[in-house]
Amino acid sequence: MITLLKYEIYRRWKWLVIRYAALIILGLIFFNRASASPMQYDIIAASMGKFFLISIIAFAIIIVEGINMLKEDLFESSGYLTFTLPKSERSILFAKNFLLFVQLFLWALVSIQFGTMFLKLLPLEEVSRYMAEIDLPVYPAILFVLTAFFNFVLMVQFSLTLTRTLLYRNKYSGIISVGIFFLLAYLIENFYYGPFLNQIKHAYIEIGTSSASNIDLLSGGYTAVFLNIILAIIFFTATAYLLENKINI
Amino acid sequence: MEYILTTKQLSKYFYQKKALEKVDINIEKGKIYGILGPNGGGKSTLLKLAAGLLKPSGGEITIDNKNPGVYTKSIVSYLPEANYFYKWMKIRDALNFFKDFYDDFDMERARKSIEFMKLEEKEKITSLSKGMLGRLKLALALSRKAKLYLLDEPLNGIDPVSREKIITSILDAFNKKSTIIICSHLIYYIEKLLDYVFFLSEGQIILAGEAEDLRNKRGISIDRLYQEVFQ
Repeated sequence: MITLLKYEIYRRWKWLVIRYAALIILGLIFFNRASASPMQYDIIAASMGKFFLISIIAFAIIIVEGINMLKEDLFESSGYLTFTLPKSERSILFAKNFLLFVQLFLWALVSIQFGTMFLKLLPLEEVSRYMAEIDLPVYPAILFVLTAFFNFVLMVQFSLTLTRTLLYRNKYSGIISVGIFFLLAYLIENFYYGPFLNQIKHAYIEIGTSSASNIDLLSGGYTAVFLNIILAIIFFTATAYLLENKINI
Repeated sequence: MEYILTTKQLSKYFYQKKALEKVDINIEKGKIYGILGPNGGGKSTLLKLAAGLLKPSGGEITIDNKNPGVYTKSIVSYLPEANYFYKWMKIRDALNFFKDFYDDFDMERARKSIEFMKLEEKEKITSLSKGMLGRLKLALALSRKAKLYLLDEPLNGIDPVSREKIITSILDAFNKKSTIIICSHLIYYIEKLLDYVFFLSEGQIILAGEAEDLRNKRGISIDRLYQEVFQ
């Protein structure tokens, strides 16, 4: 596992360093500009907005890379090298996704750190008022977003693996993977999250910690995070099973 | 008799198209086998099944009495026809990669092979010509002390001078503890290596035997026999 992880990092270490260094350096530049203009909230807000735009771009790159990590080995000749290594397909998949999770975690860490720094430049009472209006449990929301996007990649990986398993070297594989992904997304939203979140809504009313209105996934708190973790385990196991027992490379 | 690879009624279909149909073969330890046949005959499919890249549609394949899996991958050295290296790799990276993943990889032998094949460790793999790439793949595959070598078209795209180098390397790597299976349609070059041959066409074995016996019985070379069979 460690050797697999070592090569997953080694093959892209330059980009990893550039990505996080750019995020931190640009964050510092924008923060410096914002902190040099105290009480000028339009400048602070503009700097903050620019940083979050950069942060979202970095995030999108991480997600695309997470998908490509497996896609390349499934659809390109490098799969002959990867899948003839004396390692289980499960550990190959785990190494790729472990790196993805670490990347998402680091991204969240940097973004939250800068987010907090920017917020401190805004008037405290204003921030408190907005936070009260949003009424969002911060930590579960962050964990939910992280696990949700991690699941997004796992779902895409599963769709690609399933397509490759069902259709060997088919030129329509890409479009069929997209179809499978949307079907899965629909089923999960309606039959997996739906019933559970209704229960969460009911629980909130009983304990009286939140308004029952406008309830959504983010307000599902740790329960929604737990649902995501279960889903991640299901997709990881299903993809590993296909790789080990069914797929033709 | 000890077999390193056995198939029983092994079949592989891609949708309705048959790639292999009910193939029974036994590969003995310590010999060099040739699987010969035209393109699309099922040669590469058989090797990919042995390498664990494809899953059988029917029947069974075992290597050292085990189904393809982590263990068999640790004793099988597979050389595919395609360029299977990662795009980021230099030759040096590929050497280290093999050293890290395969316990049976002999770095010293690999370095000698790289030198013999006139390749430079600092070269980026994407910049290599087809011939150089073929030589590199072979140098790496044969630098493992594997029990079974699966060589899929090792001479394709290789110039005549390099072909001789490759034949020499295969002979150097071979010992009585290992077995080599070579798939090729360039029979002329590999004929002298082969102990046993299978002729594979449309997913079925149509002729098999000791190379020497076939030559003596028919009075012609394997190369000539191939041309007669597949005319």
